[in-house]
Amino acid sequence: MIEITSPPVILIAILGTIGMLLPVISIMRKEKGSSSIYAVIAFGALIASLGYIVYEVATNQIPHSALFSGDVLANDSFSGLFAIAMLIVSIMTTVGSFNFMRKQSHHAVYYSLILLSTIGMVLVAYSTDLVMLFVAWELMSIPTYVLAGFMKKNPSSNEAALKYFLFGALSSAIIVYGISIVYGLTGSTNIGEVMTGLANIDPQMMPLAILAVAMFIAGFGFKMGLVPFHMWLPDTYEGAPPTITALLAAGTKKAGFAAALRVIIMGTIALNLDWTFALGVIAVMTMTVGNVAAIMQKNISRMLAYSSIGHAGYILIGLAVAPFTVLGIQGSLFHILNHAVMKGAAFIAIAGIVVTLGITNIDKLKGLGRKMPIISIGLVVSLLALAGVPPTSGFWSKLMLFGSALDTGVPSWAPWLAIAGVLNSALSLAYYGWIIRKMYFEGETEKRIAEPKSIIAVMVFSVIFLIGIGVYPDPIIDFTKNAVPALDAMLTPSG
Amino acid sequence: MTNELVDFVIISIALLAIGIYGVSVKRNAIRMLFAIEIIINAANLNLVAFARYIPNSKGQTFALFSIAIAAAEVAVGLALIIVAYRMYKNVDIAEFRSLKG
Repeated sequence: MIEITSPPVILIAILGTIGMLLPVISIMRKEKGSSSIYAVIAFGALIASLGYIVYEVATNQIPHSALFSGDVLANDSFSGLFAIAMLIVSIMTTVGSFNFMRKQSHHAVYYSLILLSTIGMVLVAYSTDLVMLFVAWELMSIPTYVLAGFMKKNPSSNEAALKYFLFGALSSAIIVYGISIVYGLTGSTNIGEVMTGLANIDPQMMPLAILAVAMFIAGFGFKMGLVPFHMWLPDTYEGAPPTITALLAAGTKKAGFAAALRVIIMGTIALNLDWTFALGVIAVMTMTVGNVAAIMQKNISRMLAYSSIGHAGYILIGLAVAPFTVLGIQGSLFHILNHAVMKGAAFIAIAGIVVTLGITNIDKLKGLGRKMPIISIGLVVSLLALAGVPPTSGFWSKLMLFGSALDTGVPSWAPWLAIAGVLNSALSLAYYGWIIRKMYFEGETEKRIAEPKSIIAVMVFSVIFLIGIGVYPDPIIDFTKNAVPALDAMLTPSG
Repeated sequence: MTNELVDFVIISIALLAIGIYGVSVKRNAIRMLFAIEIIINAANLNLVAFARYIPNSKGQTFALFSIAIAAAEVAVGLALIIVAYRMYKNVDIAEFRSLKG
């Protein structure tokens, strides 16, 4: 049994209670006025949860890479890493929304939904049972459908939410179908038992097992934005409120990778299939389509949405070479943590620009570097980190990912993944550089205008995080080393 | 005995095919939503049929969970569709074009 004081239980208790209470408080309070109290309560709950997990990790109370257990939840450092990344993203979103929400209504519901969605994301990373995984997946998704359409009067927010909902619901339907096949084949829903069952499967049933793994790839791939399943993503990221886009791009997408690492990689290894090549092809397609389409965009949210697709491709490199080298998943985990902060920071910076100037067109960003210096610096640092320029943390995680592909040597095609990744990074620098050029080298000298304070706070945090880890990455690299699932144990057939 | 299980699986796969067809061909939001529901119910049928032959009740439990979650999902989806209908007087997602790249 999982103890009552273990991080997932504590997180459910704190975030769930506060999340349910916020709307009740808003009904009880009769007077209008300072609605920022809800943001403060939500922020406090998230900080408390993050503090608890960081404390548990720092004092080494979390076992390393205990991926399989008979329970529905596993308390290991793999999920600890995802929990930390997702809580950081939620905190950034909550703080960034402080200014963004000032003109909107229904504050209590908004923050309550963010908290509930955060529980879902964290639990996806912790679950070791397919039923738990599915429930957590839906707990993460359903609040975000509402949040994406939160600006009810705005047609594009509504359209974004509807498209996101239809594709999201389709992906969960496909995941349920996959789980039902796996249950029929192995008679269990515990991931560990399922993998043992699949490893010793009757050869006649093999096509069904392959169908199930393909359904998992499709279902989780919708959320991750892998290429054949990415069509909803730019529309949703452009139309949704920019703070919620930060939550989607940095949070729910990473939860998709957590589920993929637990289910798909284990499934492919248990089935002893050569899926790595398929994942490699998807990785190259994803990063190429994302980066090439990003070049042609005029809207900065849409451009970053395509760049987010590209980054899903980079992270997938690590998954593709997972059976051959430990460095692959390690690099993926590191890049997931980094990408959560960089993409979160970039979209929160856009939220700041939208709140003060109301523009998202890249041509209109002229002279932004002088108008809003702090937000501009935050945006520039996160863009450089996305491109992987050395003094930022993005450099190290990309180095690990591409290095892992070069290092293995076992599949002869692996180095091509690294080559595709490097070429795509160079391509991405072109459009990030274009934004930076517009911001700093074009337009007349314009007067500085007041920047929203809460967004400045997020920018300061992310600049410190990205540069700090870029200068001194050792602790995070050690942490990812501990978090890598013990794949060697899985490689032996008996599991 | 085994023949019965095969019958259930065939029906379930037929429902899956109908659902996938509905999602990929229809552009009416409500039709797409119902096609997705058909896929979820195909999975539920699978789960309950397998649970009949497997000596544990995990399948039936999961079917109950998935029915409850599907209900929550439909509630949110219909709410979004109603808001869209008020704005466009239409629920055809091919007609929604405020977002284009």
